[in-house]
Amino acid sequence: MERLFQASVDEVSRLLGLERAELALLEDADAAADDLLVSEYEKYVERKYNPEVPGVLRRRGLMGVPIREKYGGRGARQLVESLFLERMGQTGMGVITFADVHLCLGSLAVQDWGTEEQRERYLPRAAKGDVIFAYGLTEPEAGSDPASMKTSYVKDEGGYRLTGSKYLISNGSIATDMIAFARPADGKGVTAFLVDTKKKGFAVDMRLEEKIGLFTSDTSMISLDDVHVDREDVLGEEGKGLSVAYSALLNGRIGIGSGCLGVMEDCLNQVKERTTSRVQHGKEIARHQLIQKHVAFIESSLEACRWLDYRAAVKKDEYEKDPKDLALRSDADRLSAVAKYMSSRHAFESADRAVQCFGGFGYSIMSPVAKHFLDSRVARIYEGTDEIMELKIASSVLGREFEAYR
Amino acid sequence: MQLHLEGSNAMDAPREKVYALLTDPSFVARTLPDAEDVRVLDASSLEGRIKLRIAVVSSTLKVKLTIAKTAPPSRATLVAEGAGSGSSMKIASVFELSEGTSTTMHWSADAEITGVMAGIGSTLLKGFATKKVAEIFTGITSAVEAAV
Repeated sequence: MERLFQASVDEVSRLLGLERAELALLEDADAAADDLLVSEYEKYVERKYNPEVPGVLRRRGLMGVPIREKYGGRGARQLVESLFLERMGQTGMGVITFADVHLCLGSLAVQDWGTEEQRERYLPRAAKGDVIFAYGLTEPEAGSDPASMKTSYVKDEGGYRLTGSKYLISNGSIATDMIAFARPADGKGVTAFLVDTKKKGFAVDMRLEEKIGLFTSDTSMISLDDVHVDREDVLGEEGKGLSVAYSALLNGRIGIGSGCLGVMEDCLNQVKERTTSRVQHGKEIARHQLIQKHVAFIESSLEACRWLDYRAAVKKDEYEKDPKDLALRSDADRLSAVAKYMSSRHAFESADRAVQCFGGFGYSIMSPVAKHFLDSRVARIYEGTDEIMELKIASSVLGREFEAYR
Repeated sequence: MQLHLEGSNAMDAPREKVYALLTDPSFVARTLPDAEDVRVLDASSLEGRIKLRIAVVSSTLKVKLTIAKTAPPSRATLVAEGAGSGSSMKIASVFELSEGTSTTMHWSADAEITGVMAGIGSTLLKGFATKKVAEIFTGITSAVEAAV
C-alpha cells in the first residue's frame, strides 16, 4: 500500500477496528489508484476526460463500495468508504468527483430512499458498473438554493413529464441514469426522479471543458425536454425530493472531505520528494526554513482534517444503525459540513503551498501538484459552498432559528 | 531521482540463442521502440536518439548503450546513458537467463534521472517507466522468437 494511506489504514484499524473484508477492499482501492496513475496524468495534461476511470473501478470491484452485499456491492460502512476515497483522492479530484457522484450521491440515494423494486433494479447494475449515476440538482439559476429550481414536471398517463436544464452536472454525459430534481409546474414541493439518460428528450447540451481544472472529470449541461418518467421512478415521496437531495449531500460531503485528504497526502509526498532532491543555494531546498514552513502546514492540515473526516464518517455510521434518531442525523450533518469545509480549504492551501515548493515547474500542469491546486478549488464550491457550510455550521451552534439561509 | 524496476519475461527460444541476440548491439538496435539514427559503435555498444513521450510532451535523448557479457550464457549487464530536452538519465540493468521449457529472463534496472523529467516525481515516473519497459520487453520477446 502507498505509505501515507497505509499509515491511515493502520491507525484506523488500531483505534476503530477494520475487518478482513474491509482491509481487502482497501487493498483493492490501493491497486486501483496505482492503475489510474498514468492515465489520470496523461489525460490531465491533455485536458481531457479520463474514460479509464469507470473501467478500472469496475475491474477492481469498486463501483459498488457502499452498496449492500445483497445488491452485489461491497457493503462498506461510511468509515471504510471514506478510506477508499482518501486513497482515490491521491490520484486527484477528477477520480473523486466521478466516484463521489456515482456512489455517494447516486447509489446511496437509491439505497436510502428507493423502494425495494428500485433497489433491485438499479443497485446490482450500479455495483457492476453497468449503471453510472449523475446527480441533477444544480441549475443555471439554482445553485446554493436548490429550492429555487426551475425544472418542472407535469403528470401524464403512467407517470410524469420533466422539462428544464441541469447545469455543471458531473458524469452528465457518461451517466446511464440521472437522479433529477423537479418541482410541479403548478405547485410547490420538489420531487426526485430516476431518469434514464436514453429517454427521448434527454440531451447533453454541452460538455463543459472550459474549466479551471478537473479536466479528467466529465462536466455537462443537460436539457430535459418533456422527458417521460414512469410513476415507479419517483425516488422517495413525491414532494419530498429535497430530503433526498440533502441526505445525498450529507453522504457526498464526507466523500469530498475524504478525497481532499488524499490530495493533501499526495501534496505531502510530492513536496517531500521534490524538496529533498532539488538543490538551490548549495543545499537541498528542504533545508531552507521557509520551505519547512510549507511542509509543516501540509502535514498539520492532513493530520487535523483526517480525524475530522473519520469522525464525521463514524457519526454517519452510528446514524445508519439508528436512522430514527434525528439528533444523530443532525450531528452527522454538522460533522460532514465541518469535515468538508475544513478539508477542502486545507487541501486547496496545501496544494498552493506544494506549487510554491515546486517553484516554476509547479506552475506547469506537467508537475504532479498543479492538478491538485486547480482541482481542489472546486471542492470549496460543489456539494455546498464554503459559505453554505459556514452557515450550516454556525446554525448548528446557534440554533435553527438563526439559520441565515432561510 | 532514482528508480528501481524488475521483472521477468518468458521467451520461446533456447538460452544460448537468446543470450547471443540480447548481447548483440545490432539486434538490440532493431528492437528499441521510438529510436532514431541508431548506430552500432562496436561489438558491445551502440548509440542513437530515443524519443520518450510523457502525456503530450515528447523529449528526445541522445543515448549510448553499452553491453557487457558478464557470465555467458546467462548473465549480462546493459548500461544506457543519455541526455536531451533538459533531462538526463543513466540506467544500469542486469539480466539473468534461466533454462526450462522456454528461456526466462529475470531482469532488474536502476535508473537515475535528473532534470525536467524528474520533476514529475518518482511515483508517476515509475508508472511511465513500467509501461515503457513492458513495451520494450514485448518488442524484444517478439524479435527473439522471430529470429530463432
